[in-house]
Amino acid sequence: MHSENAIEVRNLYKDFKLTYDKPNTLKERIVNIGKSNTVRKTILKDISLDIKKGETVALVGVNGSGKSTLLKLMTKILYPNAGTLETQGKLTSLLELGAGFHPDFTGRENIYFNAAIFGLTRKEIDLRIDDIIAFAELGDFIDNPIRTYSSGMYMRLAFSIAINVDAEILLLDEILAVGDQHFQDKCYNHLKKLKKTGKTIVIVTHSLDVVKDICDRAVWIYKGELRLDGDPHYVISEYLTQLALDHKQELEKQIESGEAKVKGSVFLDAPTAFTKIQKGHGIAIQGWALSNAPEYKLVLTVDGKEYNDFTYEEREDVLRAFQDEYLGFVDPKKVGFKLIVEAEDLPRDVEEIKVEATLFDHKNNILSSKDVMVLQVAKGEQDATV
Amino acid sequence: MQLFRDLYQYRELLKSNVKKEIRGKYKGSFLGVLWSFINPLLQVLVYAIVFPWIMKDTVDNFLFFLVVGIIPWTFFITVMNQGVATVKSNAGIVKKVYFPREILPISVVVSGLVNFMISTIIIVIFALATGAGLSWHIVFLPIIMILQFLLSLGLVFALSAINVYIQDTEYIVSFILSMMFYGTPILYDASQFSGSQIGWIFKVNPLAMIIDEYRAIFYYHQVPDLTMMAILAVICITVCIIGYFIFKKLEKGFAEEI
Repeated sequence: MHSENAIEVRNLYKDFKLTYDKPNTLKERIVNIGKSNTVRKTILKDISLDIKKGETVALVGVNGSGKSTLLKLMTKILYPNAGTLETQGKLTSLLELGAGFHPDFTGRENIYFNAAIFGLTRKEIDLRIDDIIAFAELGDFIDNPIRTYSSGMYMRLAFSIAINVDAEILLLDEILAVGDQHFQDKCYNHLKKLKKTGKTIVIVTHSLDVVKDICDRAVWIYKGELRLDGDPHYVISEYLTQLALDHKQELEKQIESGEAKVKGSVFLDAPTAFTKIQKGHGIAIQGWALSNAPEYKLVLTVDGKEYNDFTYEEREDVLRAFQDEYLGFVDPKKVGFKLIVEAEDLPRDVEEIKVEATLFDHKNNILSSKDVMVLQVAKGEQDATV
Repeated sequence: MQLFRDLYQYRELLKSNVKKEIRGKYKGSFLGVLWSFINPLLQVLVYAIVFPWIMKDTVDNFLFFLVVGIIPWTFFITVMNQGVATVKSNAGIVKKVYFPREILPISVVVSGLVNFMISTIIIVIFALATGAGLSWHIVFLPIIMILQFLLSLGLVFALSAINVYIQDTEYIVSFILSMMFYGTPILYDASQFSGSQIGWIFKVNPLAMIIDEYRAIFYYHQVPDLTMMAILAVICITVCIIGYFIFKKLEKGFAEEI
């Protein structure tokens, strides 16, 4: 093993036995002799990877891609079927918060239990216990049984123990997603501090902002294979592109087979309902529309009259909110729309003007629609104009 | 050697696990740890009352005779019952945290040994109270204890690992143990069956040999049969080593199979 590496993975393969109905008793085994109801599924294929000492590396990939399995292999909970995985230096992993906690014992006792699982001696724990308690922000609760803790307190305690173990290699699996904002920030700051002191950190996470923020490198695992390894910004952008593509294909398949429905969503940000406008002024219309239909059409009408001259704009906020549903289907540049209806186009004599946005799919079915009423008032009463 | 280095590094875990095994089982009960001593005593009480009725002629000082048999037996059976299930019942941490897995079976057997050592006080109390007395022969006690410890450890290593793959192990073991109770000279003396058709059982049952040795030093005030002790030492050490290798062979699949 190379001395500058903390983790060395060479041509690693990992299979899982998938059993349809696992025969666990002797009777079932005897009955099922000769019948094989297990299938071997390859979770990781030919992974080779070096993680250097002091690097902060993120493993990214969708659920089931094998990234957590890789982390478990690094922890030595699982062992490879072929290939090797070597580590150098004291290693701590946090795969699940509070694994090994005993609900009936106090927080303090559990610190001793849990830190002992990580291989610390009593003396070493005694030295760290004040830091652990302080970081967990538990105060007097530390001497209460942990079954009385809120889930936030539980998590804070578990995290606080793991990062105070003083390991040279820290493996974290999707655990920073829990907890309130304040504690999350604190954890990230602490990770950055650990990073500065030269620790090796491997994170499995779905929060890509975190990856960009604290990692030096991102490794993308795609369907059990190492797809890309490099600068986080580049890897994430490629990953997202692939993700959008896969998502689109998956959904198209589902739509075809009838499992999923074509849907869409349209919204008007402005004007808001019952906005008063002064007679003689125009209306500014702004909103967004999304759909997973192969083709879709937006129709904007003001008082029954159709307008086609709206302009498109990018709406990152909307995309983010809907990325699970519409990822890969929409053109990011055509999510938002804007239209200004001049005063002369508005009917002068009506008090209520209906602004309506409707989304049609390729078969001319209505996917979604939204309408608001705008009130035309005489001078002096208005509160929104162009 | 790796085993001893691991055990040294993880000594705090071993210690807290042993403590947990001893205290944890009875946590919340009013008498707590005392139960691990009250249980064998109650058993002794039942047999001491019932057996003289069934068997016309029991040995002299039957009460002490029973105590010397039942207390080591309790050590064996508690360790086996707890030990077979130990990897399974710790599934939560086995799946999520790395630590030397040997810690689990070892802490069960060590906690049993600690309990047993405390229980020898009961044997001493009975020896004095029933007039049987004590003799210098008890210097052999630590050796017999260690042999029993190694035998139990070997069995627990192997069975706790096998139990992860075949869940029936637990039930088969508990059946064999209840049979073994009668195949081990606890309620009677093995010499009563010498020459009979089932006499061979005591020759192949290492636990029978162990109980015999305890009886020799406490009850008969004799130097234990040293040839038997040597055979026993070979058996116990072999069982322990084989058990350990079975455990090492199977431990890599624990997290997947549990």
